[in-house]
Amino acid sequence: MTDQTIASHVSAPKPAAKPARGIWRQGWQRFARSRTGMLGLVLVLIVVATAVIGPFVAPFDAQDQSPMLDPGAKAPPSWTNPLGTDRMGYDVLSRVIYGAPTALAVGLGAMSIAAAIGILVGGVAGYRGGTTDEVLMRFTDFFLVIPMFVVILAVVRLLGVAVVDTPFESVPYLNLGVIILLIGVFSWAPIARMTRAEFLRLKNQEFVEAARCIGATSGDILFRHILPNALPSLIVIIALGIGGAVLAEAMIGFLGFGDPAAVSWGQLLYFNYQALKVAPWASLSPGLAIFVTVLGFNLLADGLTDAFNPRAKN
Amino acid sequence: MRVFVFLARRLIFAIILMLGVSAAIFFLINAIGNPIELMMAETPGMTGEVIERMKGYYGLDQPPLTRYLLWLGRLLHLDFGTSIVYNQPVGSLIATWGWQTLKIQLPAILIALAIAILFGVTAARRQHSRSDFTVMGTALLGQSLPAFFLGILLIFVFSYTLDWLPSYGAYSTRNPLWGSPTLDALWHMILPVAMLTFFNTATLTLLMRSNMVDVLKSDFIAAMRASGIPERRVIYVHALRAAFIPMLTYLGLLIGLMLGTAPVTESVFTWPGLGSLYVAAIHQLDYPVIMGASAVIAFMLICTTLLTDVIYVLIDPRISLEGGP
Amino acid sequence: MAGLAAETQAAAAAPRPPEATASPAPVLVSVENLRIQFPPWNAPVRVVEDVSYQVRTGETMGIVGESGSGKTLSSLAILNLLPPPARIAGGRILFEGEDLAAKSQAQMQKLRGRRLAMIFQNPGYSLNPLLTVGAQLAEILKVHEKLPRSAALQRVEELFRLVGITDPGSRLSQYPHEMSGGMKQRVCIARALLCHPALVLADEPTTALDVTIQAQILDLLEELKQRLGMSMIFVTHDMGVVARIADRITVMYAGQVCETGDKQAIFARPSHPYTQALLASTPRIDKSYAVDAQGRRERLPTVGLAATPGQSLGGGCRFAGRCPEAVPECTRLVPQAAAIEPGRSVHCLKRGSAGVPGHG
Repeated sequence: MTDQTIASHVSAPKPAAKPARGIWRQGWQRFARSRTGMLGLVLVLIVVATAVIGPFVAPFDAQDQSPMLDPGAKAPPSWTNPLGTDRMGYDVLSRVIYGAPTALAVGLGAMSIAAAIGILVGGVAGYRGGTTDEVLMRFTDFFLVIPMFVVILAVVRLLGVAVVDTPFESVPYLNLGVIILLIGVFSWAPIARMTRAEFLRLKNQEFVEAARCIGATSGDILFRHILPNALPSLIVIIALGIGGAVLAEAMIGFLGFGDPAAVSWGQLLYFNYQALKVAPWASLSPGLAIFVTVLGFNLLADGLTDAFNPRAKN
Repeated sequence: MRVFVFLARRLIFAIILMLGVSAAIFFLINAIGNPIELMMAETPGMTGEVIERMKGYYGLDQPPLTRYLLWLGRLLHLDFGTSIVYNQPVGSLIATWGWQTLKIQLPAILIALAIAILFGVTAARRQHSRSDFTVMGTALLGQSLPAFFLGILLIFVFSYTLDWLPSYGAYSTRNPLWGSPTLDALWHMILPVAMLTFFNTATLTLLMRSNMVDVLKSDFIAAMRASGIPERRVIYVHALRAAFIPMLTYLGLLIGLMLGTAPVTESVFTWPGLGSLYVAAIHQLDYPVIMGASAVIAFMLICTTLLTDVIYVLIDPRISLEGGP
Repeated sequence: MAGLAAETQAAAAAPRPPEATASPAPVLVSVENLRIQFPPWNAPVRVVEDVSYQVRTGETMGIVGESGSGKTLSSLAILNLLPPPARIAGGRILFEGEDLAAKSQAQMQKLRGRRLAMIFQNPGYSLNPLLTVGAQLAEILKVHEKLPRSAALQRVEELFRLVGITDPGSRLSQYPHEMSGGMKQRVCIARALLCHPALVLADEPTTALDVTIQAQILDLLEELKQRLGMSMIFVTHDMGVVARIADRITVMYAGQVCETGDKQAIFARPSHPYTQALLASTPRIDKSYAVDAQGRRERLPTVGLAATPGQSLGGGCRFAGRCPEAVPECTRLVPQAAAIEPGRSVHCLKRGSAGVPGHG
């Protein structure tokens, strides 16, 4: 039964406008025009596809060492083993394929943690200003200076030692999880900086004042107005960070501190580097995989920068 | 006068940072477990003498805070303790291996800077030309190529395939190159320095080019040309100086990055530097070395940041000395 | 700007007592059929098309036009400082007996700052932020006159005094960011005058300043004109400013000259439809505006909306799209200069110009 009173004609107050969808569509169009960006997107999609579908189509299982018998360890590429076999008799192609989900897990996992912390810290610092800002920024500076790599190596190793004979020892992929956590914890500082800069820039703009005039609450302003407008720059940094995280894990694995239960490209390098002279395919393949992944995310970030901050080109 | 106040502030901040980092190192490593017990679990062959020495150095029967202050105190006296694995004072180990690290890091940065300035300026001057795009493209590629993969490639090509350069170590164990130890050392340095330079050059060139492009468009450069100042001076003295200043902060970060990833770089080339020492120490749970090397690396990084900030302020008259930009 | 504009316009148009017309001063700069173009070169963008004007010694030529009229580019061309990739595609620029358009950058470098000088629009950006003002200006003296540092700084100080900078000695060691806008512009003016140039080009030197400072700087420029007998090309979009500072005026639109002539003549009897529209749209203090029955004032006339921006489709007169008097020939034929009074010429088919078929 429709209510005929005047009250029914008063519509509920509209929620404060999000940035017009036009920004995202415009951004996508600009992105599509950027050759580097599209190339990056293609590379990233290839990696993602490998990670998702790969394990189902890989010729050998990750732990399958049967090629050791035929054609033997360190065998060059052939029809049965397109990328050859490695020092311990694994099929290189399969291991590289299985390394993709690990890489993506590290990249996305670490950056999620980094983004969560970074946006929180940077956002509060930028929005509140004053002493909160000062304190938080000093805190951020501290994390910017710490040599992430050096510390992670120590912590991972020591953790490995410490959990011996404890219930933690049987947690699957504990090592990898710790690596992801640590990379994330040491990567949030640049994100915080950028978030703070963006919030500082945006909170003084007129549309925020306007929103406040119509009665928007602080929460409204933060989440509906400021954050969506800060996202473009943040996405770029996060994209770069994903590449960086993958690279960091690769380096950790290369030095031998990776998770023995997980297949990661860095670890593949660690196992096969000694045999570089006689079985280069075993080292070059995972290396190339790392390169393609990092390149993909870097190009993607480049394309995103073009999309959202079009530099005036002559 | 204002300069001194500023310097003092930055110095104090750096010291606080050092304290913080050293505390972090200490508590992180010790929080995971009592070092002695952990070591005993891993290396059953540890002798009582070593255990006693460790106990003495670390004061392991005392509360954590006291232990930290004890360690800090010794650090300030440059007493890093004795390595369990090598049975030598950690300080001298760090000095020897650290020198090897500097041997490759310093030249890499300097060469990278020189190349970056040269190519960055040239590319900026010929903006949008083919040479510009080549420079930019190569630089972008160089940025994405994982440094250590490049190292592996370099070794594979120049050492294993072409056999022009050695694939590991800082010295030949027998038959130094052409009979000269110095030349031999330099010969071994070529690949590691090349690898470090490549990565540094890529990022620095892109930055330099971008800065130069912006500067060359600015009014004051046009005004200088309009005043008849020779083009050479306009570009290589004035424009360059304006473009270089923002690079300083980045240079500091880059040095930090290089130092931070030294373990990997040195592992690729089996280079006996601080990074290799550190990694080996971690593998072998050589605590004195781990803590000492971390402290030294952190110290070098903090110094670099401090130095870049100070130089930046001294060079750019626009920055107010109180709070910075 | 309305007050200044109206007041000075009225003064400019008011009849002046006939002066003893001495023989006109010699021509210092003659811009002849200047063409400036941007790539792509197979279909170049003709931003300045067939522009000609002359500036005599001791005279200030005001070049007036809206943004995009090519006024700045034509003056930059005199110094051969066009921003790449623009280039001079035709014409001559005669100065002291030579064609500047034909000179190389190295040859021009000797003239710039010495015989030709420029004052830029934004003083904040046209000074090197990393050097003290004293050092920057002294360097120019070192380049052109090989003066040692102390002598150079002394000369700079003298010029600071000339342009009205207070306490000139202590200013030498100041950085640009430590100075106000007006002060910086005075420094830029001083910089232009360092080597006693024969010609000064001023590109909207007052646009970036506050109104009160604008007036001060214009006062200064007028005073310097009298004292030094400066020849100046003054580029601006502001009719009020040009009415005050210029002796002769060239009106430009979209890269073409509309008319050129004596200031009083143009203000009193504007000929080209564009000039007429420009002047008519500026409120004037000596005109009364009717009020209709409902108490509303009559509206100021405006220049019509541009149908096609910039280039004319047919290659003819580029104002044809907005011109109330345009006829079909106007879009096809480029009007040439027609002398309507001694010392005045106009480019308009409806004012007697011959037409030449143009390219698009």
